[in-house]
Amino acid sequence: MKPKVAFFDFAGCEGDQLQIANLEEELLTLLGQVEVVSFREVMKEHSDNYDIAFVEGSCTRLQDEDRLKQIRKNAKIVVAIGSCATIGGINSLKNYQDLDEVRKTVYGDKAYLFDTYAARPIDAIIPVDAYVHGCPIDREEFLSVIKSLLLGKKPDIPNYPVCVECKKNENVCAFERGQFCVGPVTRAGCNSCCVNEGTICWGCRGLVDNPNENSQKEVLIKYGLTVDEAIDKFKLYFGWQERKR
Amino acid sequence: MRIISKEDFADFVEALIKDKSLNVIGVKSKGDKFAFGSLESVTELRLDYDVTILPPKKYFFPQRETLVTYDLAKGFAAKSPIEAKPMVIIGVHPYDIVALLHMDEIFRETKSDPYYFEKRQASIIIGINIQKMSKWCFAPAMGCAVIDYGYELMLTDLGNRYAINIGSQKGEQLLEKYAKNVKQALARDVQLVGQKKREVMDMAQQKFDFSPEIIPELLSKSYEKSGFWEKHAEKCLACGSCVLVCPTCYCFDVKDQADLSLEYGERIRTWDGCLLEDFAKIASGENFRPTRPTRYRHRYFKKGKYLFDRFGFISCVGCGRCSSNCLPDIANPVKLFNAMYHELRNRGEQVAPAAVPEVEIQTEGNIDYVPKLATIVRKVVMTAKETLFEIKLDDGTDLNHKPGQFVELSVFGVGEAPISISSSPTKKGTFELCVRKVGSVTTRLHALNVGDKVGIRGPFGNGFDAEQLKGKDLLFIAGGLGIAPLRSLFNYVLDNRKDYGRVILLYGCKEPREMLFGEELLALTKRDDVEFKPTVDWCPENELWEGNIGVITTLIPQVNFNPETTYAIVCGPPIMYKFVITDLKSRKMPDNHIILSLERRMKCGVGKCGHCQINQIYVCKDGPVFNYSKIKGVPEAL
Ligand SMILES: Cc1cc2nc3c(=O)[nH]c(=O)nc-3n(C[C@H](O)[C@H](O)[C@H](O)COP(=O)(O)OP(=O)(O)OC[C@H]3O[C@@H](n4cnc5c(N)ncnc54)[C@H](O)[C@@H]3O)c2cc1C
Ligand code: SF4
Ligand code: SF4
Ligand code: SF4
Ligand code: SF4
Ligand code: SF4
Ligand code: FES
Repeated sequence: MKPKVAFFDFAGCEGDQLQIANLEEELLTLLGQVEVVSFREVMKEHSDNYDIAFVEGSCTRLQDEDRLKQIRKNAKIVVAIGSCATIGGINSLKNYQDLDEVRKTVYGDKAYLFDTYAARPIDAIIPVDAYVHGCPIDREEFLSVIKSLLLGKKPDIPNYPVCVECKKNENVCAFERGQFCVGPVTRAGCNSCCVNEGTICWGCRGLVDNPNENSQKEVLIKYGLTVDEAIDKFKLYFGWQERKR
Repeated sequence: MRIISKEDFADFVEALIKDKSLNVIGVKSKGDKFAFGSLESVTELRLDYDVTILPPKKYFFPQRETLVTYDLAKGFAAKSPIEAKPMVIIGVHPYDIVALLHMDEIFRETKSDPYYFEKRQASIIIGINIQKMSKWCFAPAMGCAVIDYGYELMLTDLGNRYAINIGSQKGEQLLEKYAKNVKQALARDVQLVGQKKREVMDMAQQKFDFSPEIIPELLSKSYEKSGFWEKHAEKCLACGSCVLVCPTCYCFDVKDQADLSLEYGERIRTWDGCLLEDFAKIASGENFRPTRPTRYRHRYFKKGKYLFDRFGFISCVGCGRCSSNCLPDIANPVKLFNAMYHELRNRGEQVAPAAVPEVEIQTEGNIDYVPKLATIVRKVVMTAKETLFEIKLDDGTDLNHKPGQFVELSVFGVGEAPISISSSPTKKGTFELCVRKVGSVTTRLHALNVGDKVGIRGPFGNGFDAEQLKGKDLLFIAGGLGIAPLRSLFNYVLDNRKDYGRVILLYGCKEPREMLFGEELLALTKRDDVEFKPTVDWCPENELWEGNIGVITTLIPQVNFNPETTYAIVCGPPIMYKFVITDLKSRKMPDNHIILSLERRMKCGVGKCGHCQINQIYVCKDGPVFNYSKIKGVPEAL
């Protein structure tokens, strides 16, 4: 029997589901292997009977927690997709601001009606079986994770930094181009795509398991950033992970 | 020596490019840096470069390479042969040529790597003497800045012309076929080339404060130096840049990639590096080089000592790529060795040059990365985590293993894992593997059934020397899954019972339900020619257990043995060894009577991928069976 698959979204931009919807031909082949029972991006139906749940977006409100727990209960495998779900993502930028301020900017004088708390990845609430990192996710990697799950193997998510892929791709290092990169502490798996395009790594896949943050900040400063700028480099995506460490 | 004008040289390169049977590669600019790449026109060629980002090794040992393809319906096959187009690589600096010669030795030792050599043999190297030297380079000190071997042709820029040294017949023929107006060099040009080479020797900005011949000895005295490695590795990002850009690094990872149908796929190898956190980590979670300083130290030792002991050369050519790519600037060998040297000197230690070891590299045949197809013929669930698989090779042959050897077991699309052969070679037709479910391959294997296909490579490793043990008393000590490799020898001994003296088996596991081969072992208690003592760490209240309770070492005092005639054969989880060895030694057992079987992360099984290394030892090839007297001085071993 084909595994039943469902997609869910929380606080995020749904960019990742779009990536998946855009898979087109590959998606069709993939559909031969799985049965999609719920996917707001492309279908109206919804079912609570599923084996694999893909969850996008971060948890930003207490109410989200119950919904997540219900998903966990229904699914055999929960996969977090996209930075917001895997590491808290851009949403955790707001964790650095006073939460009341955030509520006021977002909801104006109705702010008291809306309860919001520090944005967090879904594994802060429920156990997660697999991760598809990235902002947005890489379609190839998404497929590779699905293949692994179907084969019953651990998805091959590296625990080494982006520099590894960047070196294999023979890029000129951002630092040598006078730019600043957090690749040395960011989990690889994207094939260093941003640096390949001539830019830098912003850290969208989150920190590796044991990043040497101090050394990385020192490097940023050595190459010319101010202390505050170096800290900001870490805020963009590492908000939740840093807080936890 | 020959001379060719720059115009005629340009025509020569264009003629090479035009010949579509050749793949012409040269140094090109990439941003402000340089990289080897396919040439479309001679105008792209930048022979005045300082250093390329990656060395030319990427053409022989690519960042990513298919080893094997598989098809669920048909099995495994070697990847389809690449279009073995001869490659002409133009503009290789001498240090990179020396590095290729090092790689040749490494990839040829014991067994040759066919993927490497198929490309290497189809290549033509056109070198160029260094014109600009990167500020990180120290090739002159390593004796790798100027050379007169290892190339087909070697160019020297003499202003409006190149001098060409011919290094091989292939080179000579290339000139004849594609170049015009090649003249014999005049004495004046020969002199000029000599002068250029001497200039190269003075170009380096990085300088050792001592002669590099002492590097192996410097390292020998610095392994345990307190604080030294911690201090120097403090800023290490574990980014692997220093090893990924190195022309002599050869470590790799192997993984399977299925296509979407999940029926076809390929097994690829990709560059890996010992500085990366999980490099020596195994499925049970044990990491044999868990900290940045231990991994950082390993790189220096590998380059300066381990490979020197094995091959007789320091495996660094002084290109300086590691130094320039390390963002915190801690990977510069010159800086590190100078610091090491001064620290030793300040302590009043003398360091003499290391004697170059006499080495003769043995090699026989090719590595076979393609697994043989095999079928599961019996499956016995033994415990919640372990299952015994009886396997038959589809080609009907016997495995012909020695007790204590292992195989690389493949599950289609998932990967390979090293597994000890746990049946005795006296058992013909099939062999047995006792496998614990821990990660991807093993979990997937557990889901397979009788009749399903797996892949087998091997047998690998040295195995136990059953001959040498003849006539001796044998004390087997197994912890948990450690019984799996021991069982091959144990059963062999039982099948040749009269050749051996006393046979004692001490076997410990966590609790009764985790005991492996229970019935088989129980049957031993009925024999009077075997002494068997099991133990469990604890026994739940509602379970029955009549044996000993306590860790394995609590059994050792319960047996009498004559240390002069007894050999202990030990296998278990990593932490078990130290305790068992201490106890055996306190019972006066000589070191060389203790035989251990060790586990490490493995990817190739044939001494190439670097994962299983314990200091200078390859567990897959030199082990997994070791005599304690040989490894007690090896710091990473136990
Ligand atoms: C010489 C030797 C003999 C062994 N004999 C047995 C045996 O008889 N029975 C048994 O159950 N296990 C044995 N092991 C351990 C077994 O190899 C690992 O449990 C297995 O590789 C885990 O693979 P996995 O894909 O399930 O785990 P994952 O965690 O998914 O591992 C991924 C890859 O990492 C590598 N790896 C992980 N752990 C190890 C390890 N411990 N040793 C080597 N490579 C590892 C492998 O390449 C593996 O494919 C032996 C290991 C060695 C080195
Ligand atoms: S550009 Fe970034 S990711 Fe690439 S090597 Fe430099 S620091 Fe690492
Ligand atoms: S390079 Fe960095 S920012 Fe870009 S996708 Fe990879 S992890 Fe994300
Ligand atoms: S020594 Fe430098 S280049 Fe090497 S892993 Fe550490 S930080 Fe990276
Ligand atoms: S260790 Fe460094 S200097 Fe030596 S060969 Fe490797 S990259 Fe070059
Ligand atoms: S073990 Fe040696 S060859 Fe392998 S990456 Fe480390 S230094 Fe390079
Ligand atoms: S070197 Fe590859 S497993 Fe030993």
